Amino acid sequence: MAIGTISVIKVRDILLVTVPPDPDDDTVTDLQESVLRAMEIHEARGLVLDISTVETIDSFFARTVTETAKMVGLMGGLTVLAGMRASVAVTTTQLGLKLGKTLTALDVDRAMDLLETKLEMRGSS
Amino acid sequence: MTTPNDGEMTIGNENDIVMARKTVREVASGLGFGVTDVTRIVTAASELTRNIYLYAGSGVMRWRIINDSHPLRGVELIFEDHGPGIADIEQAMQPGYTSGKGLGMGLPGSKRLMDELEIHSVAGEGTTVKIRKWLR
Repeated sequence: MAIGTISVIKVRDILLVTVPPDPDDDTVTDLQESVLRAMEIHEARGLVLDISTVETIDSFFARTVTETAKMVGLMGGLTVLAGMRASVAVTTTQLGLKLGKTLTALDVDRAMDLLETKLEMRGSS
Repeated sequence: MTTPNDGEMTIGNENDIVMARKTVREVASGLGFGVTDVTRIVTAASELTRNIYLYAGSGVMRWRIINDSHPLRGVELIFEDHGPGIADIEQAMQPGYTSGKGLGMGLPGSKRLMDELEIHSVAGEGTTVKIRKWLR
């Protein structure tokens, strides 16, 4: 099965990543590396992870996303998880996964708004 | 196209975890489970196939649609490996307990997502986990 390559899009100083529907472990690991590299290259201040097409979040995926948000934080950026499906929210909670203090939004639009507000509050860097 | 009532697949690498999720998704949706239950069953399958891959290296996932003898219809998944086995099942069922490689969510989490979960394990011989979900 082909591994979907992760594309990182830069919008102003925010990175936007769309997570494929059913990523394998390599794709999830690749996502983390691509995001961190892009943070460095683009001097981004925020990251929006669009998970609106993701059908399953298991413990490996959740751990990698939480770690990524932490790493982005260490690099001075804020992460917003956008578009989690209702079925995934139910399952993730019942499975007992913790997404740490990761910010969340209903969709990408709201995630961008949230990031802008949060970044304004921090003051321009 | 009709889906068969049972089947099995080998779990030996990371990609097999994705294939197992796809298979279970097809079986569960085909049987008529709603999207949230399908997600629950697929997620449990993802955790348990990953356990096989992480702890035993390889094993088998068997699936079966239960539509006979029982008043309810449902799906049964069996995950079998010949890995190191689980020395203390009670401990392994504690949320957060891990022997090292995982998050400690796989077994207790899968139990919460499913209607039934049974484990048989002999240290040094292997582990069999059986999970079931009934259609309501």
